[in-house]
Amino acid sequence: MITAEALTKNYGTKRAVDGVTFTVQPGKVTGFLGPNGAGKSTTMRMVVGLDRPSFGNVTVNGRRYAEHAAPLREVGALLEAKSVHKSRSARTHLRALAATHSIPNTRVDEVIELTGLGAVASKKVGGFSLGMGQRLGIAVALLGDPQTLILDEPVNGLDPEGVLWVRNLARHQASQGKTVFISSHLMSEMALTADHLIVIGRGRIIADAPIEQIIGGSNVPTCRVKTDSAEDLMNALAAENVQLTRVDAQTIQVAGLDGRAIATRALDRQILLYELTPVKQSLEEAYMALTQDEVEYHSHLGNELAATSTGKQG
Amino acid sequence: MSTATMKRPRSAAPGAAGSGKLSFPGVLRGEFIKFFSLPSTMILILATIVVMVAFAALGAWLIGWSMGMAAESPEMAASMGDMGEATAALPTSGLAFAQLIIGALAVMVMSSEFATGAARSTFVAVPTRQPVFWAKTLMIGIVSAVVATVSILLSFAVAKPIAGAYDLELVFSSEALQRAMWVGVLYVVMVSLIGMALGALLRNSAGGIVVLAALFFVLPLAMGGFSALADWLAKAMRFLPDQAGAALMQLQLAPGGLEQWQNGLVVAAWIVIPLVAAAVVLQRRDI
Repeated sequence: MITAEALTKNYGTKRAVDGVTFTVQPGKVTGFLGPNGAGKSTTMRMVVGLDRPSFGNVTVNGRRYAEHAAPLREVGALLEAKSVHKSRSARTHLRALAATHSIPNTRVDEVIELTGLGAVASKKVGGFSLGMGQRLGIAVALLGDPQTLILDEPVNGLDPEGVLWVRNLARHQASQGKTVFISSHLMSEMALTADHLIVIGRGRIIADAPIEQIIGGSNVPTCRVKTDSAEDLMNALAAENVQLTRVDAQTIQVAGLDGRAIATRALDRQILLYELTPVKQSLEEAYMALTQDEVEYHSHLGNELAATSTGKQG
Repeated sequence: MSTATMKRPRSAAPGAAGSGKLSFPGVLRGEFIKFFSLPSTMILILATIVVMVAFAALGAWLIGWSMGMAAESPEMAASMGDMGEATAALPTSGLAFAQLIIGALAVMVMSSEFATGAARSTFVAVPTRQPVFWAKTLMIGIVSAVVATVSILLSFAVAKPIAGAYDLELVFSSEALQRAMWVGVLYVVMVSLIGMALGALLRNSAGGIVVLAALFFVLPLAMGGFSALADWLAKAMRFLPDQAGAALMQLQLAPGGLEQWQNGLVVAAWIVIPLVAAAVVLQRRDI
């Protein structure tokens, strides 16, 4: 379990992480989602003590990470691919880290096999592709067979097979009762991997909820209806809590009524419906809705100005 | 690689990762594994030894040659004085250059961690940080002492027969040679530890090596050049690490120099102060 309380990090005058409080529970995969520069990596670096919090604190299983007697057995962390000397082989890198905790070399060979690095383990890391670097980073994280896994963008640079492997690994570790904390800016990946989501933007927590709840969003049922009598239908459905949007001549989007209620009212007025589709918000849309004001780097000048003014208000 | 098969994740066999805790001997072992896994380590160690031996051989030949010249002209012989001390210094004559090579190696032991990003792995494994610093200190101390001892002994073995050919006697047990040898080892350890501290403070290989070279080459030269202009410069110069170290290697005190115990203190301060400063900065700064 990871517990952060009012965790804050300032770099000079810039506040990278702004008083975040959250708990990462064991037995679940917790996704840490946010745009680039939102503070994901900084938060994770503070968990393992590479960065010192400016305010607040963060503990792993009740203690600061550095206070554990065997940190590598407590937390396995992949922070950035290629956190290795380029002239060193993957195996030597792992053995040197294993030596600090008296982890046997058999375990080093085991994680090399587990991550599919067997063929390149004796080669210099400098020649590794991004994907191989990620696998080595994951091998390091697994070395101490830790209770808690922290993976910062683990699928970056991996091929589809590798992505699937990371997903299975995360789910498997969580099913063993371990704490799994994965950051990503890919919402689609998180939708498939995570049970719980913590969404961060501009250093602040925007959402912290089970994944279904975030996809469910506002919990207002929305349906898309097709009919030839669009005007009549809109009159029939109009009510205080119902939002009607005319999509085209035949199509209306109805928010605030479920399919049964729409069909019942249409039947009362003898209006023929030939399509009635519940619209489910995707994680992508939920994420965009959540983070639209929080994105650090917009691609258009107009948005950039908007973001700047938002920033000043905040 | 893209076709390599990743095995299905499985939990490790019970006890596969053992149950060892983070320990200083473990950290030290890890540092030695890292140190000797780099090709540059052996190259720089060999270069140090070669430079030492080459200077000793060249020096022995030069002294012998000038002795031959002196035998022909009495005026020159008078100006040269006693060659005994110069001969005794032969095995350590390459130190001025060798120190920079092994010093650079020591800088990189720390700076390369930061330059390559390996520091992230290192300090996640050892989040208390200090064990890594002191393990590196101990390792650098041991390695530089061993390399200095071996290269001085080899230099002696090579210089002795060359000097002998010119009827110059190089006696291993002589007080001058023994002092030059053991203080020479201490001197190399000092240079290496200053180098490592610079690597930790600057986190940059080139920067650390430049500062180290400035401290041992440029600063003494510059201060020596201007010392005729200002008396305080000559006095301050005695506190430079190479001046104190070189003075400590001599049997006789130079006029106007520090007492030997004072030279010893200066050398000790140059070892302790940079290390403590580096250890404190390493603890406080983000990785």
